[in-house]
This record gives sequence, C-alpha cells and structure tokens, in this order.
Amino acid sequence: MAELKIETTVNGRRIARRVDPSQRVLDFLRDDLHLTGTKEGCGAGECGTCSVFVDGVLVKSCLLPVAKVAGKTIDTIEGLAVSGEMSAVQKAFHKAGASQCGYCIPGMVMAATAALRLNPDADREEIKERLGGNICRCTGYQKIFDAVEMARDFLNGKLSATAFDELDAEDGKYIGVNVRRIDAPSKVTGALRYAGDMVLPNMLHVQVLRSPHPHARIVSIDVTDAEGLPGVEGIVTSVDVPGQDGFGVFVSDQPVMARDKVRYVGEPVVAIAAESLAQARRAIAKVRVEYEMLPAVFDPDEAMKEGAPIVHDYAPDNIVKHIPIRKGDIEAGFAQADLIVEQTYETQQVEHAYLETEAGLAYVDHDGVVTVHSPSQNITHHRHMLARILNLPINKVRMIMSPVGGGFGGKEDMIYQGMLALLTMKTRRPVRLVFTREESIATTAKRHPSRTSYKMGLTKDGRILASQVRIVYDGGAYGMSTEGVIRKGAILGGGPYNIPNIQIDTYGVYTNNTPSGAFRSFGSLQSQFATESHLDICAERLGIDPFELRLTNAMRKGDATHTKQPLKSSAMSDVLEAARTASRWEHGAPNIRGATRSDLAGEGTRPSCTLSPRAVAETPAPKLQHEKGAA
Amino acid sequence: MLSCDTYLSPGSLDDALAAVAASDGRFRFVAGATDLLPWAREGRAGDVHVPLLVDISGIPDLRTIEPRDGRIWIGAATPFQRFLDHPELIRLMPGMPDCAVWFADNQIRESATIGGNLVNASPSGDGIPPLLTANATIELAALRDGAIRRRRVSLVDFIKGPGQTEAEHDEILLGVECDTLEGYGGAFEKVGHRRSLVIAVVCLSAVVRLDPSGTRFEDVRVAIGGVGPVARRMTDVEQRLIGQPITAELLRACLVGCEQFVMSRTRQEYRKLVAPGFVARGLANAIERAGGSPDACGIAKEIANG
Repeated sequence: MAELKIETTVNGRRIARRVDPSQRVLDFLRDDLHLTGTKEGCGAGECGTCSVFVDGVLVKSCLLPVAKVAGKTIDTIEGLAVSGEMSAVQKAFHKAGASQCGYCIPGMVMAATAALRLNPDADREEIKERLGGNICRCTGYQKIFDAVEMARDFLNGKLSATAFDELDAEDGKYIGVNVRRIDAPSKVTGALRYAGDMVLPNMLHVQVLRSPHPHARIVSIDVTDAEGLPGVEGIVTSVDVPGQDGFGVFVSDQPVMARDKVRYVGEPVVAIAAESLAQARRAIAKVRVEYEMLPAVFDPDEAMKEGAPIVHDYAPDNIVKHIPIRKGDIEAGFAQADLIVEQTYETQQVEHAYLETEAGLAYVDHDGVVTVHSPSQNITHHRHMLARILNLPINKVRMIMSPVGGGFGGKEDMIYQGMLALLTMKTRRPVRLVFTREESIATTAKRHPSRTSYKMGLTKDGRILASQVRIVYDGGAYGMSTEGVIRKGAILGGGPYNIPNIQIDTYGVYTNNTPSGAFRSFGSLQSQFATESHLDICAERLGIDPFELRLTNAMRKGDATHTKQPLKSSAMSDVLEAARTASRWEHGAPNIRGATRSDLAGEGTRPSCTLSPRAVAETPAPKLQHEKGAA
Repeated sequence: MLSCDTYLSPGSLDDALAAVAASDGRFRFVAGATDLLPWAREGRAGDVHVPLLVDISGIPDLRTIEPRDGRIWIGAATPFQRFLDHPELIRLMPGMPDCAVWFADNQIRESATIGGNLVNASPSGDGIPPLLTANATIELAALRDGAIRRRRVSLVDFIKGPGQTEAEHDEILLGVECDTLEGYGGAFEKVGHRRSLVIAVVCLSAVVRLDPSGTRFEDVRVAIGGVGPVARRMTDVEQRLIGQPITAELLRACLVGCEQFVMSRTRQEYRKLVAPGFVARGLANAIERAGGSPDACGIAKEIANG
C-alpha cells in the first residue's frame, strides 16, 4: 500500500498526514482525527449523518475518497461551536427540541447550516428540499424544520437571541412548559459518543461470518486459513461458550452463535477480532463452513401444519406461544347478530431503521469483570443472561448502556453482545463491533408479520355482539420478544370496545425467516390495524357513520377490558369527539359520499404532498472561508 | 468496502493515460465516486480491491464548459450542481436544470458528475434523457500505439445496455457536446418513492421551441428513461407534433401508443400509466417555459391534468 500524503485544513487547523488511500473522508475524520461528531449511518450516501463542508460546499463524506480533500478545507460539526459557543443553528435545534436520539443531528445541523448559507430567506418548503439528503427516524422532521426556521429568523434579525432561552417554569411546574432538553447540546455539537465512536487502547475490530442459508446443518467450520492471516487475534464459534448458551426475552432459544445448525439467513456463525477492520474482513472471507441443507419453512401457517420442517426440536409444532382469551359465548352472540362480517388482514415485516446501527465495545477490566458498552434497551436483563452464558457470577459481568441512536424496540435483544464478550475474554483486549447498514437490515429483528382472521357479529344499530379474532404472528427463527408481543396482541386484540362475547387466539410461530422482535406498539399495531379496518367495513355494511359505530361500542369508565381489568377512567369517547370536531367530519357511512364530501380541504388542512422542484436557477455555492461564529 | 494500493490524481490527460498504460490493467477510473463507493458494498459487489484508482476529476479538459463549433462542450467531470448555477449552461441547456434539481440530493449533486452518470449507464440514469434530447455526442480518449486516440460517438450509440457502454476499459470519457437549445422550454418529469435520493421509476425529458406567437411547435424533443434497458427518444411523439399548432386533439393523439416504450421487467402496468402522463405533463411544462400563449398553455395543462 502506497501511503498518501494529505495536507488539508480541518476546522481552521492545518493538518498534514500520511493516510491509507482506501480511506474515505469519513474514515479520515473519525479514525485519524478522532472527530466522531461526523457519523456513519449507511456508508452509501443515503442518510446524511456524515455531511461535512469541503471548501464551503456540503458533501457526504462517506462518498468521498480521502485523496479528494488534498489541499482543501474541511469543516465538521465540531467546527461550528467556536470556543464552546454554539452556532445559531445549534441553539435553535436545542431550543426547538429538534434532537431525540441525536444520531442524525450533526448531519442535520450541517445541512441546515448549508441551506441558510445558500439562501438566508429559504422558506419551509425550500428547507425541506435542501435537507432532503438527511434522514431522521425519531422526530418526523417537524421540529427540525421549526429549528431551521427559528435560526433563519434569528440570523435575519427577526428574532432576538432571547428566543433561544429556556422559558421559566410556571410556579415551579414543568408540565405544559416548553423545556429544553438537557441532552441536546451534546447532540447538536457532535460531542456525544455512541458505541461506534468509542475507542480504547489496543482495541481490536470484530467482524462476523453469517449464514447464507435459511435452514442448514453445520457439518464443519474450518478457520485454519483465517487464523494464519496477519492481524487476526481471536476467533470464536459456539464451542467457545463456557456456560449455558442461550438468550431470549421469554425463552432462551438463541445461541450466541449458531450451534449445530443455522435457522435464518444472516445468523452469526463465526466472529473474528483483528487489528484492523480490513484484516477482520479478509479473515472472515477465509473461513470455510460446510452446510447440509435442511428443508425450510417461511410461512407461519405452513409451519403450524403437521409435517412442516421443525425449526427448534423443543417445539415440534413450531409454536413459540399460544395466547387464548375467552369471554361469554361467541356462538350465541353470532346467532343473535343481524350482520356477520368476516375478513382476513395481513401486515408485513418492518425494519426499525434507527440511524445508529448496532455497535458495541467490550473489555475485561483489571478485576476480571467482563464489560460491554452497547446501545442496549435492556441492560439488566442482558447482564443476567450474559452471566449465565459466560458461566460467571453476576458481579463479573457489567453492561453499560451507551447512548442509543434510535431503538424503537430493535435494541432490546442481546444479539451481538455475547460475541463481543467471548472475543474480549479470549483475546484479553478490548474489542469493538459496528454493524454495517446492510448487516443491520439483513440480520436483526423486525416487526412481526401477521395474518388476522376476523369475524364480527353486530346488531342493525351497530352494537357488537361477538368477535372472534385469530392472529398468527411470524416469529421468525428465534423467540426473542415474541411471547410478549403476541400477549399484547391478544389483550388488545378485540379493540377498546365493549363486546359481550369474545374469543381471541394469538399464535407466535417459528419459521426460518429473520427473527421478529420488539417494535413500537409491541404486537398491538397488527391487531389494531385489523380491528379498525374491520369496523370501517362494518360501518359501510350497516350504513352507520364510523365515528358513531365506535362511540356506540367504546369502553367507558366502569367497564372492564376483555381480560377483566376494571377501567377507572376512559378517554376514548373524548378523543373520538375531539377528532371528529377537529376534522370537521361530515356525518355519514363511509360509502355515502362521492367526490363531493365537505370535510376535505378548508382551513387547517395540509396541502397534498406535492413534489414540485423549486425554481431552478441558483447562485453558485459561495466559497467560504472558515467562519468564526457564523451560522 | 473499496480498497486500493495506490490512488492517483493526475493533473493532465497525458498523465492519466500514462498511469493506466503503466499498470497491469487492474485499475478503475474515479470521478465523483458517488456510484463507485456504494457499489463496493454487501449485496452488490461486496469488498473489492482495485490496485490502482485513477481520479480523473481534476483533469482540466474534463472540467471545461465552453462553446464549440456552434454547440456546447461540457467536460465529463462537471458536477450536476453546475446545471443549476452555471449561467451558460442554464441558458443553453434548458432541459438540464429541472433534471438536476431532481437528481440525488443537494450534497451528492456537488460531487456526482455528468460523465459518471453516462458511463454508469443505468436504465434510470437521470442525466441521459435530457442529453438525448440535446443530441449529445460523447468524446473518448485512450492511449493507442503511444499516442492519444480521440473518438466521438453519439450518445445513442454509446449506451448499449444496463451498465454497458461503448467505452473500452482504458478509455476516458472526456465530455459531451450538445446542441445549444437557447429559447427552448425544458421540463423533466420523475417519479420514485420520495423526493430526494431516489432512483427513477420513470423519468422523462421534454424540450420544446415554439413559433413567435407561442401557438405552434417548431421543434419538439422527448426522451424517456427508466422504462427499459436504455433511455430512448420518443421520435413518434416528436414527429406528430413538429410544425403543428398546439391543439387538444393533437396533444391527445400524440399520447396514443406511448406505453409501447415500456419494456421494463417489473411494474409494467404502472409504468404504462405513467408514460403518457409524463409526456403530457412534460410537454405542458416545456410549452409554458418556451413562452407558450395563454391558450396553448391552458390546453396543454388541461391534457396533462387528464
């Protein structure tokens, strides 16, 4: 490798370095200059967490070979807050509450800064377009756009600096007062270190070999060639697990790495720690695994059939869990009904798509405590599981929760921390693993796909007499949070409606798909989608207004839920009434309106999603000198 | 991950060609790098080691924008953003600003080059339809028998299929020469999953010149991309319109048969609905920008709105 000599100015400081020519500007900033405020979210130019200025022009540093910045000026997020004072854009992000997990925020702040430099009078639509290359998963963008508008108005002299100040709590009460987030300054300045930003002396880099097959027996694993490669310091497989190998939230069915067989595409098989990321990747490519294919099953209804391929020996029926709820007599209810509606609903797998991919850093400390930093949403549970897996007393295992760059349930399961613990114990050196975006999407848990069969009996005036609900959730290859998800699905399966006769059955089923796990709403989204779609169909068939149908059946104070929980309060009718008023709802069944309905458009209605490009002529991007304290 | 042993940034065409001539053939040219780096990732090419990367984006010939023989020369390393902020390009290439504003995002437009878009030869490459409507000619250079061989190829002949071009491995695309279309109105229509960073499901370029009264087509050029292996000019549509007064009947008639251009392997039905809609909308926008009379604009808009 011919090293490349680079001279560049970074945040006003002249820098001369010899660099690896394979580096991207992103790697140069993060690895060589330790400027970790610039993040890697995708490595493919799609997310904007790595945006930096090069000669005053905003670019994505993951798409820029390092040689391209020779002789140029780079400004990163760290350069915006000159001598500790945040820029106007940063202050506005702080004030507006524009940061949540914070992982996208350095890039957002850079893009907002660029937008206002290019057009100090940009309106909200133009701001949206100019920030189009930056993705946020938490905020829904509104607060980010609010912040950019606030910064614009301040820079144009329309707002005073006091606009960024925190409002005083009224009579010492903070509820209902717009309080600035305590953690926002660390996020808007890029100072906050996520797991992938952390380094330790003598740290090794981990890469994982994953299964290319959905269901196969592991005949042999040969790591001879990988072991001999330069830089390789440790290799682990399931044989290296000293304790009881298995984790999961409800059932410990998942080995740290595939044991005897693989059950989904992407399941870890071998993990390697090496001096550099490139060396670890080269070593992974040298591992040879021999597989013997097994028949696989990809549909949960198929998996429940007699004779289907068995994913786990302990569950020959492939059922992770079945949750039944019984109340009253549904047959009697259906017999009295004027209308019976039956329908099937399906929902698909969904990826959490947090901007921070999974990452972790592990080491063994001087007291022999195995320590893992990771953005885990459940560290105490992970600690207990890991102690059992490592066969260590609980006081020899420590889990530290690093800042979570978006979780949404996707970081509840302990899918990689075990590998890090094994590798640091084996090598006695700190080890770090950062998932690529592709790895994160392909191998981590998803929202459960579902198939719901709904049968509902109603009277002519819209009272629900009986509901029969059967939901089959595809749990994928391992149990993870499935039991909890389908329990929630069952408890909420009938919807928030008073129904005298109800029968609910939810099933979590093993298949050879990517495991399903926790995801916002935890199983109830699937059943609510079915219930509310079903009620709209029933409203149409009965000729009843959908709001009326729901109000007729809504649970009220004093009622009990389907699982006999007494309700001391219920806001449901109030919420429905408020929604009805706010939407200026035109009364009537869903099918009575044509093109003439009166409640569309009008005051307070958002215009439809138009995608017109902004008027096209622009002034060239200004060549900016390194600015002191400017936007 | 893309890795290399040597990354060169030659300052001249001679140096660039000499560097690849001295290599063992295992090299790649780099311009904006915005397609190259995502290509070397899991799910696509995976980890790729190229011993020699030759960055041609700094070669002055590839950065030139100038009139040439009554046409305009655009160096291959011109970033897409220049179509939005370079006064000469905006004046002479009215089909491009609308394309550029839809291209990737603000940041990638500063790096991604017009030449890269052409050699990448994606069926959905945004830059290709507007360059087809500008009758673009490609110029290539390579070292042959110790001397630089330059050759010119029409864009139509240059792109042979998805990812396939006329360029040989050691040939450098120097730039494109285009018709100057001053006074034309240009439009670019594109649909995808979101506003930014999207690969077109269908994209279309329309450029139109009208008579002084703004009621008659003097010239019409339309090209469609994303609907088959290569983007194509819609010559049937053009021939029906050239020289004709703008009427609703004429515009309606020219939409008939547009769906025949759809030869994609996927989403045929959807694309067949979009294609005539884009022709109608592209023409309406181009007519308006070409100074169409209020009547002509109204008629075209009405057709475009179905």
